[in-house]
Amino acid sequence: MSIITRSIKSADRQARYLNLGELKAVEDFYQGGEDRLRLAQILVANEAEIVNKGSQRFWQRYPNTPSNTGNPTFRASCLRDQGWYLRLITYALVLGDTEPIDKSGIKGVKEMYQSLEIPLKNLAECMRCLKEVTAEMLSLKDAAAIAPYFDYIIQGFL
Amino acid sequence: MQDLITSTINTFDVRAQYPDSDAMNRLEEYFRSGDLRAKASLAISANAKSIITKAVAKSLMYTDITAPGGNMYTCRRYAACIRDLEYFLRYATYAMLAGDPSILEERVLNGLRETYNSLGVPIGGTMRAVQAMKEVTADLVGTDAGKEMGVYFDYICSGLS
Repeated sequence: MSIITRSIKSADRQARYLNLGELKAVEDFYQGGEDRLRLAQILVANEAEIVNKGSQRFWQRYPNTPSNTGNPTFRASCLRDQGWYLRLITYALVLGDTEPIDKSGIKGVKEMYQSLEIPLKNLAECMRCLKEVTAEMLSLKDAAAIAPYFDYIIQGFL
Repeated sequence: MQDLITSTINTFDVRAQYPDSDAMNRLEEYFRSGDLRAKASLAISANAKSIITKAVAKSLMYTDITAPGGNMYTCRRYAACIRDLEYFLRYATYAMLAGDPSILEERVLNGLRETYNSLGVPIGGTMRAVQAMKEVTADLVGTDAGKEMGVYFDYICSGLS
């Protein structure tokens, strides 16, 4: 939920307009919006490269993982899921909130991967690799803006 | 309820896609208009009572509705009418901030026409008052913000009709 919707909801509960403090926060959010969109666009444009480099690094560190057994389905699913998490991160970034990650990528994730017999700590490491290669591509400031979302996903796997 | 950002994301998430360039342009436009939206919201909240007063004067006052036998006759009904107009204004302002009409649908319009019909509240008069509110608000906040607010006042009207 963006800070806009959150402020509106709490104002609505009290049947009042947004107060000055809330509006100030909303305005700051609007102002940061273009920057968040820019960063999201960088991620979108480099998705293939990030996923590619991230998985190479992951397989170096964890050679014994389902996606590295030579099974093409496992391999493709691993790449696809990395792309999906990257997409969820761009959503969260634009929204300024982890809700999209939560909703589509965290709730039930442990149960799902466990039932697929994919070790969660491997997934966490895979996300760490994605985070690293993404950070290497970005300026220090941009990398710092994006890191919390990767960390949030990694926490969700543990 | 949703805002423009959430509704964009939800649309694309179910398709597992990144927002396309149209959607990105809309988001960019929305973020850029933030200053305008926040200022308009502030102006409206500071002048909410007077907006209602002026809108009622413009659209309902001294018509059949306020005359004996009309639906605003007796203070109790008059008060209920301006209370509803206050609701409309507040929710239209929320929707304008969010850039999305879903809150109007959820909190205002859902079942409103049926309620009004069963209470005998004239829809035509209500719509006239909302349109008057739109004009009064535009005078207050200026053309650009007025246009944006107009979208949500019109949304209320089309939901009533």
